[in-house]
Amino acid sequence: MHKSGSSSSFGPGGLDLTQAFFRPILSAAPPSPTKRHTKISVIGTGNVGMAIAQTILTQDLADELALVDAKSDKLRGEMLDLRHAAAFLPRTKIIADVDYAITAGSDLCIVTAGARQMPGETRLNLLQRNVSLYRAIIPPLVKYSPETILLIVSNPVDILTYVAWKLSGFPSNRVIGSGTNLDSSRFRFLIADHLDVNAQDVQAYIIGEHGDSSVALWSSISVGGVPILSFLDKQEIAYEKETLENIHKEVIDGAYEVIRLKGYTSWAIGYSVANLARTLLRDQRRIHPVSVIAKGFYGIEGGDVFLSLPAQLGRSGVLGIANVHLNNEETQRLKASAATISELTSQLEI
Amino acid sequence: MHKSGSSSSLGPGGLDLTQAFFRPILSAAPPSPTKRHTKISVIGTGNVGMAIAQTILTQDLTDELVLVDAKPDKLLGEMLDLRHAAAFLPRTKIIADVNYGVTAGSDLCIVTAGARQMPGETRLNLLHRNVSLYRAIIPPLVKYSPETILLIVSNPVDILTYVAWKLSGFPSNRVIGSGTNLDSSRFRFLIADHLDVNAQDVQAYIVGEHGDSSVALWSSISVGGVPILSFLHKQEIAYEKETLENIHKEVIDGAYEVIRLKGYTSWAIGYSVASLARTLLRDQRSIHPVSVIAKGFYGIEDGDVFLSLPAQLGRSGVLGVANIHMNDEETRRLQSSAATILELIGQLEI
Repeated sequence: MHKSGSSSSFGPGGLDLTQAFFRPILSAAPPSPTKRHTKISVIGTGNVGMAIAQTILTQDLADELALVDAKSDKLRGEMLDLRHAAAFLPRTKIIADVDYAITAGSDLCIVTAGARQMPGETRLNLLQRNVSLYRAIIPPLVKYSPETILLIVSNPVDILTYVAWKLSGFPSNRVIGSGTNLDSSRFRFLIADHLDVNAQDVQAYIIGEHGDSSVALWSSISVGGVPILSFLDKQEIAYEKETLENIHKEVIDGAYEVIRLKGYTSWAIGYSVANLARTLLRDQRRIHPVSVIAKGFYGIEGGDVFLSLPAQLGRSGVLGIANVHLNNEETQRLKASAATISELTSQLEI
Repeated sequence: MHKSGSSSSLGPGGLDLTQAFFRPILSAAPPSPTKRHTKISVIGTGNVGMAIAQTILTQDLTDELVLVDAKPDKLLGEMLDLRHAAAFLPRTKIIADVNYGVTAGSDLCIVTAGARQMPGETRLNLLHRNVSLYRAIIPPLVKYSPETILLIVSNPVDILTYVAWKLSGFPSNRVIGSGTNLDSSRFRFLIADHLDVNAQDVQAYIVGEHGDSSVALWSSISVGGVPILSFLHKQEIAYEKETLENIHKEVIDGAYEVIRLKGYTSWAIGYSVASLARTLLRDQRSIHPVSVIAKGFYGIEDGDVFLSLPAQLGRSGVLGVANIHMNDEETRRLQSSAATILELIGQLEI
């Protein structure tokens, strides 16, 4: 039986009850590892990493949860705090180490490590600090879990997903960025709140860059199956293009507002990433707007750029891109978003 | 239909879709409030309060969640961060205000507000700072929700539960402290980890003060129905009393260790309190070691002291105390725990 290091004997006095408490039955085979053992590693135990880890734990998504961080005290404290909740949770193995060996055999590696976005700082300004960090993170993850799916959360997420892809050498279906999954949630919340309807009945995508140049797909928003824009036209309800842009801006500002008020965001991104983890590991084949390699879609041709598109996800990662119709304006904005990202990517030495 | 203040029109441009998007059926009565509408208020949006709020949300325990704090920016930021996860959660109304009017009609009020326990500081040292804070918190909660259950989490929890009881004028079944519910979880984790068994199969109580003078009820610990101490005797496995005390000390030190490593505890107390909330609001009639008025039990006669005993909890709060047998030593330690708490209560002006 596996014993965690600190409890090979019970307490500092050394009381060993293991051999005596349970008796094996006759003719039993020795315990074999279960075939389905899901292991998730979370890299970075800051506010985002821990919100993700805790939500994954509460939603019972993994058999084993590994935490990695450079700060060993903080790391150990977080691990113990989660472990102490054992009586209230399904049994999950929770381990932590500064050494990446602990991540060996992970089905999913979630990378949140990186500098925190400061108030007023755009996501793109974080870039340089985080690229060198990734050179120390991605290669060991790949070494210890060559079949894993990499889920990138650190900002700027689109570029760092590209960086992770290049550094890992993985096929593109196994490197995904959390992208605009959360922006789309904020968008759906605004629409749902206004209509007093459940946000899960609102289908609305924000795609492109997870940031200032994201693209709101107004032409494909529907509520309970009713497409919003054609509905407004049929009902002859007037609206101004500026109104729609203001709503989109409110979504983009949503993150900055939370950062300004409480210093960072954590809970919403925690739920967003746990939601992606569930779709991937339980092979749900659902469509999520996440950062994927976009070359070849919607006229994006110039280079290996990652940005968010509505992607079908399952156990093998990205299964494909949903063929959502974009009108001319949306296509133009998406290409502009791609160009913004491409320009920065080309300045990196990868 | 209720509209939250910020969305009476969709976005800053003022697009109002409400009247046009859904059509009512003929002869319908106007919307009536649902009979079962559960409302929980969390007072204090620090690490503990937010871990509790987020776990309650993830576990879908309430229809309405209210946050109150003195710091309005932090409060608004936390509320928005939770709201932005709308697409990933069951629909829950989430509101926040510095003014206690928002808590009106709460089924459960969870008070976490208070100074954070500093590394090396005992829980008892926090006392004076928190008593005056409670004079500003408890009366408005009572005013706005005269039928509510008060669940006290701030430390030192036993004394502050007493303070809340005195300030509220509530019957004692409706004022409960989170007490040793978490200590017992840590205890069960240690035992379960050593035996490689699920922590939920370990029945083990720590009672008395949530703190240094807590009492581990070794004589009533059982695993899968097997009482530990009599088992050790029957198997003639020798153990020293000191060994048991070291294990108990490891539990008490558990909290201090997490505080030393990460600065505070949050996740475990979050799960612990959410577990209590579920038992109370869903009338589960489970037994939890929580801080209740202990006068009349186990020879505790001297005054209105609150400390943790194994209490059966349900929708009306404390239903009774489980008649667990304590040996002479455990009874003595419990009475001494009570005396420690009473001595401090005697110094308060309530």
